[in-house]
Amino acid sequence: MASDLSHLKIGFIGAGNMAYGILKGILKSGDINPANVTVSAPSINNFPRFQELGVHVIHCNGDAVSEAQLVFLAVKPHFIRTVVNEVLPHLTERHIIVSVAAGVTLETLEQLLPAGVETVRLMPNLPCVLQEGALLFARGSCATPETASLLKHLLSACGSVEEGPESWIDIHTGLSGSGVAFVYLFAEAMAEGAVKMGMPSALAQRIAAQTMLGAGRMLRDSGKPAAVLRGEVCTPGGTTIYGLHALEKGGVRSAAMSAVEAATERARELGRK
Amino acid sequence: MSVGFIGAGQLAHALVKGFTAAGVIAAHRITASSPDNDLITVAGLRKMGVNMTTSNKEAVQKSDVLFLAVKPHIIPFVLDEIGPDIEDRHLIVSCAAGVTIGSIEKKLMQYRTNPKVMRIMTNTPVVVREGATVYATGTHAEVEDGRLLEQLMSSVGFCTEVEEDLIDPVTGLSGSGPAYAFTAVDALADGGVKMGLPRRLALRLGAQALLGAAKMLLDSEMHPGQLKDNVCSPGGATIHALHVMEAGGFRSLLINAVETSCIRTRELQFLADQEKISSAAIKKTTLDKVMQQPGVEQGGGVGVRTAGVSLFNNRHKK
Repeated sequence: MASDLSHLKIGFIGAGNMAYGILKGILKSGDINPANVTVSAPSINNFPRFQELGVHVIHCNGDAVSEAQLVFLAVKPHFIRTVVNEVLPHLTERHIIVSVAAGVTLETLEQLLPAGVETVRLMPNLPCVLQEGALLFARGSCATPETASLLKHLLSACGSVEEGPESWIDIHTGLSGSGVAFVYLFAEAMAEGAVKMGMPSALAQRIAAQTMLGAGRMLRDSGKPAAVLRGEVCTPGGTTIYGLHALEKGGVRSAAMSAVEAATERARELGRK
Repeated sequence: MSVGFIGAGQLAHALVKGFTAAGVIAAHRITASSPDNDLITVAGLRKMGVNMTTSNKEAVQKSDVLFLAVKPHIIPFVLDEIGPDIEDRHLIVSCAAGVTIGSIEKKLMQYRTNPKVMRIMTNTPVVVREGATVYATGTHAEVEDGRLLEQLMSSVGFCTEVEEDLIDPVTGLSGSGPAYAFTAVDALADGGVKMGLPRRLALRLGAQALLGAAKMLLDSEMHPGQLKDNVCSPGGATIHALHVMEAGGFRSLLINAVETSCIRTRELQFLADQEKISSAAIKKTTLDKVMQQPGVEQGGGVGVRTAGVSLFNNRHKK
């Protein structure tokens, strides 16, 4: 695999946050030569941080595609059609197209792309830019298990990478794409509670953030389920159980479920349009 | 430049008051038409020096920029009436919630090949020159028309161009917004009164608090959350109060309000599109509705006050 990868040429259409996060993760493994990566975007505004990574930056989508085998379409959903039509002449059966566009289904992509081109739909989330993303991808009808393995390997440094059926992508959007905002809201509210109790706001916010981070790492790395970890913090009659009771009274669990549900439903709705 | 208003109700009155206070146009260059001479706003407009008439045709002929300031369901009838009188110079600006540019252009194109139409969503604080206005440009309106409208509306507050599909959300937010604010101040004053303040003072302070907060927000680059943090001393009174608001679902209520107003606007547009009434019934229906408006005399029902109602005829009746 390592020797194959040193010759693998990768193209990015779009130079936004998602492209950057994904590229950074890919390069971290050390298996890919930055000289084999081309990023294409209409304006130079976003180029500097890509140039720092040692990759080529150009203004020609067609060239980014014709040079590469693996191409990431990292443009806003409403540009997908335009971009695909533009690069159509350069696409061959050896291309693997990975679309990062929210709401653009594999069916739509396969209709736009030539038959035989391997298509993958990838849903990352914002913390990708810090290599702490949660990524889920679904394979199109021509995409092979080898392609799936390749992607899992390449994207492993972006955070967590999982494969699933396309129907899970909307759920992933609700849970993890939008989910980061739910966590931000919770952190803001917890900090407000601290302010109410007498702590200065800026400090409360920093501590809330670190609390989220620490709890998140324990959740991810301890191997124990959330319910167990929660129990481990709760001394009988102690502060935590009192606080948790207030949360339960506030219906936070139901609200969290509803939040994921609402975001997922909306993702489905948008995907149907 | 002359400005005309079809309709002389709250909106026309507020806009004229704002325009004249701003000095962007003189009152005598404004003509407003209304079927009913007894509306308070009609008297107010006349007092300001606006040329009042009961003839829509006259308002059209005496204007270059023509505001349609009637209720949405009246718009189709007004358009049919004034259609033949529209000239190349006219810029038609519809203020009616939920009425699309497309529907207006469709009507007018029966009379004119390239009617210049624009659509605005504004709000009542234009009367004190602190309005919030958005406008969308029709198919045949030029860039200069947009600039002219923006100049006019900027004299009475904030004004910017948007895509037409954003107008319904704007209605929900800043169209209805002043009503949310009035309700808030009323309730804040109640709180003040409960805690011992005289009503007048409580209202004055409540309104000033909202005004000051809005000004701080507009003048600074900061996020409202951050401005809020700056007011909330640790363990202080304000953070205690905010907790109570959050517990009551304050934020969610406001989100719901904007959403509901936007959805209702779309519903009304949809209902209007569905209406299929015979033309005879239309006359009577509209007449009834005009008669039901506040300030209109119920002189023994429809048919008694035919004098002065000029929606369907061009003869100036006295």
